[in-house]
Amino acid sequence: MLFNTPIFFIFFVIFLLFYGFIFMQRKPRVYFILVSSLVFYGAWNYKFIPLLVGSAIADYFIAQAIGNSNDQKRKKWLVSLSIFINLGILALFKYADFAIESFADLLGAFGYQASFETLSWVLPVGISFYTFQSLSYTIDVYRGDMKPRKGLVEFTAALAFFPQLVAGPILRAKQILPQFHKLPVPTWLNAKHAFLLITVGLIKKTVADLLAAPAALAFDAPNTVSTIELWTGVLAFAGQIYGDFSGYSDMAIGIALLLGFQIPLNFRVPYFALSPVDFWRRWHISLSSWLKDYLYISLGGNRTGHRYRNVFITMLLGGLWHGAAWGFIAWGVFHGVIITATHFFREQERFAGFAQSNSRWIKFIQWAVTFYLILIGWVLFRAETLSGAWEMLINMHSLASTAAAGNSALLILGLVVGSTILIHLMDYFVLNKAEKLESKWWLFWPLLVIGHFLCFMIGQPSTEFIYFQF
Amino acid sequence: MSERKIYFKILLAIAIGMIVVVIGFRAFLAAMGAGGLMSRVSEARAEIPTIVKEEKDLVMFYGSSMVRAGFSPRQFDRELAEQGVDIKSYNFGFGGLNPLFQAALARRIKEQFDANDKRLELAIIEFNPFQTTKTRRNGAIAAEESFLGILGNDQELLDIAKNDLRKGIRMANIKYIRGGISAEMVTNFYGRMFAEPRPRTLLAKDSEEHGKRLGEVGDALTKRFDEEYPNYVDSDWSLEWQGGGTIPEERSKETLELFDEYYKLLQSDYRMDNARLNRIHTADIEGLNFDPLLMESFIEIVKTFQQFSDRVEVVILPQNRKWIKNPPEAIERFDNAVARIEGETGVQIRNFDRTGKFDPTMFSDTTHLARYLGDVPFTNHLVKVYQPILAQD
Repeated sequence: MLFNTPIFFIFFVIFLLFYGFIFMQRKPRVYFILVSSLVFYGAWNYKFIPLLVGSAIADYFIAQAIGNSNDQKRKKWLVSLSIFINLGILALFKYADFAIESFADLLGAFGYQASFETLSWVLPVGISFYTFQSLSYTIDVYRGDMKPRKGLVEFTAALAFFPQLVAGPILRAKQILPQFHKLPVPTWLNAKHAFLLITVGLIKKTVADLLAAPAALAFDAPNTVSTIELWTGVLAFAGQIYGDFSGYSDMAIGIALLLGFQIPLNFRVPYFALSPVDFWRRWHISLSSWLKDYLYISLGGNRTGHRYRNVFITMLLGGLWHGAAWGFIAWGVFHGVIITATHFFREQERFAGFAQSNSRWIKFIQWAVTFYLILIGWVLFRAETLSGAWEMLINMHSLASTAAAGNSALLILGLVVGSTILIHLMDYFVLNKAEKLESKWWLFWPLLVIGHFLCFMIGQPSTEFIYFQF
Repeated sequence: MSERKIYFKILLAIAIGMIVVVIGFRAFLAAMGAGGLMSRVSEARAEIPTIVKEEKDLVMFYGSSMVRAGFSPRQFDRELAEQGVDIKSYNFGFGGLNPLFQAALARRIKEQFDANDKRLELAIIEFNPFQTTKTRRNGAIAAEESFLGILGNDQELLDIAKNDLRKGIRMANIKYIRGGISAEMVTNFYGRMFAEPRPRTLLAKDSEEHGKRLGEVGDALTKRFDEEYPNYVDSDWSLEWQGGGTIPEERSKETLELFDEYYKLLQSDYRMDNARLNRIHTADIEGLNFDPLLMESFIEIVKTFQQFSDRVEVVILPQNRKWIKNPPEAIERFDNAVARIEGETGVQIRNFDRTGKFDPTMFSDTTHLARYLGDVPFTNHLVKVYQPILAQD
């Protein structure tokens, strides 16, 4: 049930009618949110509802047990159990086949021909998001950052809360549980901002869908297109993944806000970043901050003298979080390398001036280098195989491609660049000018209608949100 | 503001917003002239209630634009009447459809016949090989849900929704809210401007005089039509003409001469080769890689007609074989497809493309028979083939 489909529209209007007019007390509302969220989730595959509910029940009781225990060893054992359950579920559904196939490949490399049965299990939608979200609760309770809360239904409803269930943002228990404890009431100002976010999200998603075609042209057959089309394709994918994911996040935040729930921002104009470190402060903020708080810091952060190692491991696992494929691992490793390199250069005296300069030209160079590196990363992320990515990178840089560019190649490049800038401008606008716009009703409402009209007109070459697969 | 009031305002904003957007979209479609989509199909469908009340035995020729161009129902009826067979035939040839859409349309036709307890004496169904290819289907993917929505009935939409709720609701939305036009169709339409140009012929272009004369003759023919049919009500499918076009006996000698000249000009190598390349690009006319779903749909069409027809014939129309050449592997695929249709429907296919009776001068392009030069000989050939069968029945 995608947010930009008629079926979700019907679902949400029915939900609003019941939520806003029938169930007025807190408890029935929480139950209603839970049931609706399970219906929403079940629309993809109802068979995975027990997995989601089971995950919630396990972590709820583990958190209670941690909270009730004074024995540090027992607490440690309990949090380890939670980690084992959550990562075990992820490993089984997401990584088992990859591990089996990679092991068989490894044996093959040593001359042993082995074939193993793979599980071939369907990946439950949103599993990476809700397991991380659930895990954050038990870890927070273990660390003493929050006390366990009473109310299994409340906890399950918060975990399954439909606006953010399948593709985030990854919420922390301490962000969302208090809101379920005292259900928020939306204000009209909230609602207006929510409408703006939903419209912007829809436009971003629509633009992202249009960018899918030039991206596919380059990535599906990199040897048959010209160098300019390869660069166009990589740029298009950069715009597509950003528009797709941030658009979905905006819609999720907006839909939650219509009910009064506050969900933090997940993107902050990421391609305006001036360094790879800066990029990760702007891109998929809920994941990067999760990895920082629960993985990087758990590894010792920058205190133990193993900062580079810890960054590297965090980014490697961050890459793996996106999926069981060597491309994602390579992408994580690549970002680990460039973040480590950024830290290294910043620590060198001779580069300090460059890193801290306020000169526009230097900032431009910083931006250009960063954006270039991000694009290289997307090649690893999107290409079908690592060898395909390598070939594509060579063709992009050596001008070796002998294929002639299509007649519209330059026009399409221009449109791709324009679309990516448009997505960023909308983000920038929502971040900085939303309040002003929302105060001018004569401009605000027509703009929203025009936005929806455009989305109503433009179809989807792709139907799924990219991040659902993670 | 009370909580209920806020939710009321939120719902009101959603409702008003959606209404404004839908009205705007409908207005946009009207302004773009998109209401004419499938107008020939709609007009033909609208006349079925009248057709089923016809007292004479009915013959329907069902197929693509090749049927539309190649079959002259009034001539067919007249020739048969002269030979003692009194029937009424209709041309149900529609351009731009593929068997998937035609199967849906066939179900709608059957419903009307069943509702009136009427049967077709003879259904002639065209198997159009290049309309059944993967390339052809891919070219129409963007329109698939729209066309199936327009041609489907509520029960079919409900059945789709039972299997796939998302798809069912989306198709109902396209049919009832979006006026039959999906967002994909709009995008596809405007996206064409960014598509790579189709392959063009390397043959020498027609001379300027050639083009000029073609334009002049075309204009003259339009003028003649207006003069010779002053009361003609403009429509894509005319009940009066039984879905076909004009017949030579209604036209003046000068008009027929103009037609001769017109088609001669149209049959230049440059135009024909471009038409061939266009058909290769859009329908894989020479390679003939069949699409499994379209093949199944075609078999479904035949089976649907078999349910309300006394006799069902499957035919293959002639193509301009000076220009369209199938390699041996395509011919093998074609033969397999024919064998499959025959096997699954029990109908022996008549391949008029292999009769050798239709030469390149009878075509307006690589596939369509030319008016008078092509449709008359082809219709007369049909008379010869079907007179004994209809006389027997």
